[in-house]
Amino acid sequence: MFTAGQVTGSVPNRGRLKLTGIFLVVVGYTVIFSTHATADELDAEISRLKADVASLAADVFALEESILHPADSQVTVFLTLARKDSLTLDSVELYVDDTPVASHLYTDREFGALQQGGVQQVYTGNLPHGDHVLKTVLTARARDDRYVRRESTHRFRKRPGEFRIQMSLDARAPDYEPEVSFREWK
Amino acid sequence: MVVSFVDRCWRGSGRRGGVSVLLAITVLSSAAASAREEEDLAAGLARFALASGSPEQSLVHSRNLDGYPGTWLKAQALMALGQTDSANRHLQRQIESEHQRGAAALILARNALDEDEAAVAPEFFQIAARAGYGEVRQQALYELAELERLAGHRDRAGRILSGMEAGYWTALGYMNLAADYSKRDLNPARALVALRVALAMSEQDAVSDRNRNLRSQLLMRAGYLSYRNEEYEKAIGFLEQVPLDSYHTPRALYFHGLALTARNNHRAAMQSWHRARKYPLAYPGVQDAWLGMGRGYDLSGYLGQAGEAYLAASASYESERVTLLNLASQIRQDGAWQTLVQDTRDSELQWFLADSRTLTQPRLAYLLGFMEDPSAQDLIGKVSDLASAEASLEEKANKLEVFRGSLKDRLATPTNSVSGRKGSFLARLEILRDRLKGLRDKADRPARLETLNRSVMTLQDIEVSLEQLGGRLANRDARLEERLRKTEAVLSRIQELRSQTASIRWRAEDRLDAMALAFVSRHDEQLVHALDKTEQQIAHLYEYLALETLERGGQ
Repeated sequence: MFTAGQVTGSVPNRGRLKLTGIFLVVVGYTVIFSTHATADELDAEISRLKADVASLAADVFALEESILHPADSQVTVFLTLARKDSLTLDSVELYVDDTPVASHLYTDREFGALQQGGVQQVYTGNLPHGDHVLKTVLTARARDDRYVRRESTHRFRKRPGEFRIQMSLDARAPDYEPEVSFREWK
Repeated sequence: MVVSFVDRCWRGSGRRGGVSVLLAITVLSSAAASAREEEDLAAGLARFALASGSPEQSLVHSRNLDGYPGTWLKAQALMALGQTDSANRHLQRQIESEHQRGAAALILARNALDEDEAAVAPEFFQIAARAGYGEVRQQALYELAELERLAGHRDRAGRILSGMEAGYWTALGYMNLAADYSKRDLNPARALVALRVALAMSEQDAVSDRNRNLRSQLLMRAGYLSYRNEEYEKAIGFLEQVPLDSYHTPRALYFHGLALTARNNHRAAMQSWHRARKYPLAYPGVQDAWLGMGRGYDLSGYLGQAGEAYLAASASYESERVTLLNLASQIRQDGAWQTLVQDTRDSELQWFLADSRTLTQPRLAYLLGFMEDPSAQDLIGKVSDLASAEASLEEKANKLEVFRGSLKDRLATPTNSVSGRKGSFLARLEILRDRLKGLRDKADRPARLETLNRSVMTLQDIEVSLEQLGGRLANRDARLEERLRKTEAVLSRIQELRSQTASIRWRAEDRLDAMALAFVSRHDEQLVHALDKTEQQIAHLYEYLALETLERGGQ
């Protein structure tokens, strides 16, 4: 049979852990103290290791960018939302000169970040100088609950140096038709 | 800075100053706008990286951002990376600003509690409750109520909870208050009232998963307390609302059976216990339900079936002890992380086919039971972090090995042949220019002219690139060598970190194994106790039957 404490106890919390800690200290101070110290030490080591891994990840990210995408021929495509609640983005596919280069399925959290002004780096690659065509295919649920799939194209001329394109997604009342506008950052 | 620059232009230029100042203002304001746009872009990228589970990248994007949202984004990324001390510094700056004060104060307060600095936590919770909105405010108020409750001030906790909006956090607060009342009061009336309020509050929670889980728990507790208070109808009413796919279902079914037995409805009680028996013995309530079946038959007067039910219970306990023995030896051999977490994960490959039957997997049942302990959750979280750090380091090392090879290949390619081809490229460029000129003279439509103009511009770009090619080729080897050096350095750092991670993970897993083995051993003890009870029941039954036979013989 269950005791009342088992069934109707409060949700586990820090206070309970602390009480347990006090009890254990009373029971066997020496043994428990050394275990506790080891646990704290392990926590500190894990924390230090995490910091080192994070700093390494940042360095590797920068190194990868510099090796993979030389600035002279680099093209980056960003995606932003022009309006917070006009549509719910499901997926985006990106084609450069009819070649699929990137695609993304959105989680709720990612879409929430876009709604709060987040910018997604959808694609980074290298292209030769000259004219190119960027095509984007998006699927989304419009505010009037329609499921939509729309294609938009943008012609651009890749010039020497870093080249960035910002795609901004919008859908205005009354028909909530999704529109993608492109802006080139020189 | 802008003002001083304009001022210098104004003083330095004399009469011609007007034009210079205007020019300076235009240049500077466009530079400022461009810098602002760059900052917005960096902040946006950092925000998205954070949301897509890449806090490291988020930190890279936000490293040069000051003020809001830079500080807030950095603080969140640092928290996600477990760097609490650095995060605390940014959070402290955040609560002194105008944005996200409540959320920052809430994180600071929780960090203070985790670091055993309980004295400063209430102050931060107060700030979070004052400055926060919605869920942040409700969480802060809940934590304040919890601090009061844990200090023994239940009235004050109740007052805080009564000022909160209906929802998950309020319901959780009332549930804990009910737990306190049920421990202190002989009469469970106060606890039941608190649970009823919690149930009403939980109805307003919009997050369905946590709400379903909390409601199951509340209903099960209310059912149990009503049963103890001999309000069997009420108990049955609460327990029948517990959904069948909840972790609390087996225990609720057991109590449901108890309440029905108290109303002499043994047949219905046995139906509930029979359903509870379908769940693995690892779940609370299942052991008791097996015993309950025998008791049910006994009370209904079917002594033969009662004996069979007790024997079945005994066999099932014995078999579960073997399962536990195997589980313990597997933990000793492969470790608790592999046995309880990884193998359970792997067994759910067809998760899309899974339904409530996932609750019937014994290993998952033990994992859920084990995870009820907050320190087990914490330790599993740590091992999981270390495992993903190991995997990420390995992936990075593999990538960098490829980069290293490619850089070495590029260094081995001589540049002379490329620079020798520059002349031929320039000659081709000239030929194309001449052809374009001829075509432009013939172009009769604006569209054609535009196309040709774009080609002219592309040729200009190519010419610029070719002019810069010499300089770039001269620097190529130095640039590649520098990147190769960096790659080598990073690879050796990765190697170091991998060995550190492996050693820390080994220690963390060691502690996890000890904890899991203790958990398995506790379950085994419970089974031994249940076996004892079953044997006692069987002995009573045989004793009774023997006496009956004697009596009949005497007559």
